Amino acid sequence: MIENLFQQKILIFFLVYLFLTSHINALDFKTYGFIQQESSIYINGDGKHNQDNYNTSLFGKGTFISYLQEGDAKFTISAIGRFDQNDDELRYLDFQKFKYEYYFDDIALKIGNEIVFWGVNETFNIVDIINQSNLAEDIAGTKKLGQPMASISYSQDYGIFDIYLMPYFRERPFSGKEGRPRLLFEVDKNSITYESSAKKRKMDFALRYSAVIEDLDIGLSHFYGNNRTPVLSPNPLTLKFDSHYPILSQTGVDIQATKGPWLYKLESVSAKDGSERHLSTAGGIEYTYYGIRNTQSDLGVIVEYAFDDRNNNPFNNEGVIGLRWSLNDIKSSSLLAGYLFDIRGNSNRFQAEFEQRVKDDLKLFVDVSLNGSIDNTDFTYQFKEDSSLTLKLAKYF
Amino acid sequence: MKIFSFLFILILTFNFSSFAETDDERGLKIAKEAYESTRGYIDSTSEQLMILIDPKGNEVIRKISGKNLENMDPDDGDKSLIFFNKPKDVEGTVMLSHTHVNDDDDQWLYLPALGRVKRISSSNKSGAFMGSEISFEDFSGLDYRKYDWKYLGEENYEGEMCYKLESYPKYENSGYTKRIGLTDELLRARKIEYYDRKGDLLKTIYFEDHKLYNDAIWFADTFRVVNHQNDNSTIYKWENRQLNIGLNKKDFEKSSLMRLAD
Repeated sequence: MIENLFQQKILIFFLVYLFLTSHINALDFKTYGFIQQESSIYINGDGKHNQDNYNTSLFGKGTFISYLQEGDAKFTISAIGRFDQNDDELRYLDFQKFKYEYYFDDIALKIGNEIVFWGVNETFNIVDIINQSNLAEDIAGTKKLGQPMASISYSQDYGIFDIYLMPYFRERPFSGKEGRPRLLFEVDKNSITYESSAKKRKMDFALRYSAVIEDLDIGLSHFYGNNRTPVLSPNPLTLKFDSHYPILSQTGVDIQATKGPWLYKLESVSAKDGSERHLSTAGGIEYTYYGIRNTQSDLGVIVEYAFDDRNNNPFNNEGVIGLRWSLNDIKSSSLLAGYLFDIRGNSNRFQAEFEQRVKDDLKLFVDVSLNGSIDNTDFTYQFKEDSSLTLKLAKYF
Repeated sequence: MKIFSFLFILILTFNFSSFAETDDERGLKIAKEAYESTRGYIDSTSEQLMILIDPKGNEVIRKISGKNLENMDPDDGDKSLIFFNKPKDVEGTVMLSHTHVNDDDDQWLYLPALGRVKRISSSNKSGAFMGSEISFEDFSGLDYRKYDWKYLGEENYEGEMCYKLESYPKYENSGYTKRIGLTDELLRARKIEYYDRKGDLLKTIYFEDHKLYNDAIWFADTFRVVNHQNDNSTIYKWENRQLNIGLNKKDFEKSSLMRLAD
């Protein structure tokens, strides 16, 4: 299920390369991964679009890393896949990483699929732009697709420069008809337009400078290419969403200050999306109480706020209060809970994730997502009926 | 002549007896010599195995591998990389630490599930390391600069004469108020008792399997940790430890975490 010819060519090239080099070097490699069974119950019953109130899904991830040329080079494959009972859009295989890297003294070269994360925030990752989000997986957009690229890193004492060339664009996946939560209409894969005449083949470009200056971790970045977020407009003929990908030119900054148990975070972008320019800023603080009540457990409190000067942006005035409780026990039990809310009070959502190792190679996850009182004009209103409880059991290899 | 030799011996005795230095000075001197005897490793790699044992005798295994880089700056700490291997769900996670003597360390964590490097708070050097009875603070427990010292005398331990030293952490976020340890005549730590923030005996670390590396440096290849409050214990073993192997200094920077991980 390799998405396109470009990736296929890379795949063949590297398999041949690997075959050739494996005769010269003793193949030094490692593999690891997991397979996870997930079951969800939607506590409001059947969905607005008659989706099932129960869903089961199988998810897996496998990583293969081979060290070549006495450690100066590395070849990595990391693939994820899912087979979902109800949602067609959640039956996929994605090469998150499929890359070859070579290291010189100050310079690193990389070609292939990669996941690149920029930024410091827990919730509002506004600077992060390289990888497409898989919205079928998660409406918050934290799950990504591998991005084909060639990149160069140049590192010096005063920081590191990264240049990325991205020759192939990946369209955003959305939940399908039976998916939950899903948008009001399906997103029509046959009706996609681009501002760029090169469409998917537009050569996207990004540059980043990052440095550590004592307590500060800073990043400055610029991106020019197809916006990862399409403009969706309902088509009255098909009753589906048409999508349009404008060209995005975005300059961003991200800073974290680490002062003892306090973390201070700030991300900001100025972006020209199509013809409009906007400013978006998000930041917050995180404080951790260590060894609460004379136990080994830690409690972290996270507060973040996001502002966007576009009125139509669903996250133009949002806050989140979160708690992270780590028991630091033998089972690595932890709980992350967050309450997201619109400052004007139009919507709120509660999310919690609990995890605990039940055996050496077996881990249990319990996720709860509750959609609270929602104004029917708010973007998240359409997910109102999709509160859920999910149990996941992962077996590691 | 007899008078002269007597005087000579008297002078010698005065010079080297406790009259010439206080117990604090003597303690500091031994701790400093002991610490300095572990220096000069330049860099190192090792595999580390932890066996976590609960009071019922149930065992759980943890595996990591590590790289260390010695910091020649007399006022600063070493740098370390920890690659987590077991339990399998943490495979691929890497932690980079730039340690500081009496201040919070700088720490970054590479989390493979998120493909993200996070700068983390390190005010909690005294927390349980991977659910074990050892804490991050204990790994640099022989660094004399982190404590005030007091010499308590000599004590016989497993048939050998040892110096008994009491130490008090200078670091404000230390998990301990006091330690009492035994250091043998080869300046190797043999055991240290740790007292918690309330002043109660918390745990004892027994340093075992001492091995002379590169004909110069003694390292204990086993730490046996017994927690006296919850009756858990941890056996922490170093395997395939190699010193002075010419690691790249740049590996110990944040920008290398992704490259070293996956």
